[in-house]
Amino acid sequence: FFQDCILKSYFSKHEVLSDSSFRDLLQDELSKFSCKLLPGDPNPQLTLSGLERHLIGEGSHRHLSSTIQLQIPPQSFPLQSCKLVMIERLPSGVFADPFELDHLLHHGAYAAIGVFGDTNLELPSVSSNRSAVEIHMNFKHNTSSGAMSELGIRIDLPLHARYAPLHESGYSEVAFGTPDLLVSCSMEGSSEKRSCLIVPSSDSNRLRTDVVVWKIPCGIMSYTNVVSVVTFATALVSTLVIVLPSVLYSKPR
Amino acid sequence: MTAKAPMNLRRLLIGSAVFRLALILYGEWQDAHMEVRYTDVDYLVFSDAASLMASGSSPYKRTTYRYSPLLAFLLLPNSVLHRSWGKFIFSASDLLVGYFIYKILKQRKVAEDLCLYSVMVWLLNPFTFTIGTRGNCEPIVCAMILWILICLMNGKIIQAAVWYGLVVHFRIYPIIYSLPIILVLNPRYIQLGKKPLLVNWKSNAHRPSSQSGMEASTRYNLWTAAKSMFSKERVLFGLVSGGIFFLCTGLFFHLYQWEFLNEALLYHLTRADPRHNFSVYFYHIYLQYGRQLSLVEKLISFLPQSIVQLVLISTFAQDLPFCFFLQTVAFVAFNKVITAQYFVWFFCLLPLILPWSDMKLKWEGLGCVGLWMGAQLHWLLWGYLLEFKGQNVFLQLWMASLVFLLANASVMAVFIRLQRFSPIFLQIKVSDSKSGVKSQ
Repeated sequence: FFQDCILKSYFSKHEVLSDSSFRDLLQDELSKFSCKLLPGDPNPQLTLSGLERHLIGEGSHRHLSSTIQLQIPPQSFPLQSCKLVMIERLPSGVFADPFELDHLLHHGAYAAIGVFGDTNLELPSVSSNRSAVEIHMNFKHNTSSGAMSELGIRIDLPLHARYAPLHESGYSEVAFGTPDLLVSCSMEGSSEKRSCLIVPSSDSNRLRTDVVVWKIPCGIMSYTNVVSVVTFATALVSTLVIVLPSVLYSKPR
Repeated sequence: MTAKAPMNLRRLLIGSAVFRLALILYGEWQDAHMEVRYTDVDYLVFSDAASLMASGSSPYKRTTYRYSPLLAFLLLPNSVLHRSWGKFIFSASDLLVGYFIYKILKQRKVAEDLCLYSVMVWLLNPFTFTIGTRGNCEPIVCAMILWILICLMNGKIIQAAVWYGLVVHFRIYPIIYSLPIILVLNPRYIQLGKKPLLVNWKSNAHRPSSQSGMEASTRYNLWTAAKSMFSKERVLFGLVSGGIFFLCTGLFFHLYQWEFLNEALLYHLTRADPRHNFSVYFYHIYLQYGRQLSLVEKLISFLPQSIVQLVLISTFAQDLPFCFFLQTVAFVAFNKVITAQYFVWFFCLLPLILPWSDMKLKWEGLGCVGLWMGAQLHWLLWGYLLEFKGQNVFLQLWMASLVFLLANASVMAVFIRLQRFSPIFLQIKVSDSKSGVKSQ
């Protein structure tokens, strides 16, 4: 189940991230998988009971925290091996640092994590395109109790703000959409008797959550002329502060 | 006293080496155990580029690697021996700079205690010992610049030219030293094949009170420079250094094509980073970003830098270390982008000029340090509020950068006012070029 990276196949066909073409590709990929339980099995499927999203931190470097609440049905086998795939399509104005994500990977936080699209770390948002992050996480779940169990999975994604386009208010607002979520659980060591959950970001009924907004400070265009004039005037004054003593400098014969 | 003296320099160097080793080890621990790394991000970039080179790829496949392939080559053992190999090389260069400072001052007969204090100004400077141990390559550049000075002081023009071509390929900014070096290679002072006579330090030298000598000597120097512009020393220096530079450029272009030229050379010449940094121009660049600037606007931003460089060169070229120092401070201060690692470019030259300064620690010296550090800390405070607290303090941060530029200019003015001008070379008497004038 989802051994390959969906975003990798998207960006092999597209230069720039577009929500509509991504949704089409996701639908194609998902149609290849069947998440059928054994015939006659009365047990319900995996369900998403909630999604909480928070932006943690202040300033230009923050974490996007997503807590996914799952309801996992009991099975006849005690241990379930599950996989969660989350695809976060980042809005224009924020980016993930691929080297930082590599660092997370080496610390064993996730089975796989990668950022695709415009991963330039330096350019302002007017000169950048969007990027997207795909996270794969493996976890085990014990269902020997025989009842439906709740599981909360938290994913923390470190993000950074790009230099925002100018705005008179002094702040640029970047709103995050909802992620695409894919979960599959099966008997430990076997891919049969699999139950899955697919919640694309367009499913606003199931992915009801408060919109996360990041306010990024930005320059104010009406200051442009004053800033330029005063900058050059200061440079000129500094030039004189250095040039005058040099010209008046006395050297020995 | 003489028997004890070499021991003190040795003790100073050994102590500094041990301290740097401890910092490198601490850095490894901090990187592994704390969220904020001790190691500079640039070091990780160099290491990645070096591993790419080791596997036969171009180091420029590593995004943000904007240095000469020579640096990646130097760091090849990072992937083979230990990831901190580079830090050891950079810290060793930093110790070498300390030794070169001592060598230069001793050659000019500076008193032993002053020599050691000057070396301490470099070795015990917090900027210095953090830069090498965090994995920044600037100490290598500083060592090369000082070695070029040593070569010139010993009349080894060709060797100086080779290292000069190499250092300009490595870092570009030393191109600002080309004119003063050419001016100082006056056949009246230095001739091919002969060791030049140096103007030595005098403990009881006073600053001249009259101004009459100055203009005449400046005009005289520029006039003779114009006349003997094409002396064999100058032509040789220009050809050899230019040859080395173009050889390196050609070789690496052949190996890495346009990626090398764009990342290692053109990027630095056209860099206009709108992100906040110490430069006065950052906010202007951010507000104008994407807008096409007129020719006048483009020229205006070059004018202050060019004027200052030309005035400094025409006034101070003969006192080469002092000229280098002032030029470097001005170059950094008026640059479109300023990062803290640029400061070591002039910190390595500061010890070379201190023995000729009339500046007293109390209160001129401490005043300069206080003004410069204060302006920097003030900027950093606003920078912290912007970057880590998300407050819109762009205007205040920009004003802090204006204050920082004025602080740099003021400190330069104080240095100029209190410096005893001391040309590096003694004029060789035209009638008797063998014996020369007796040193002071």
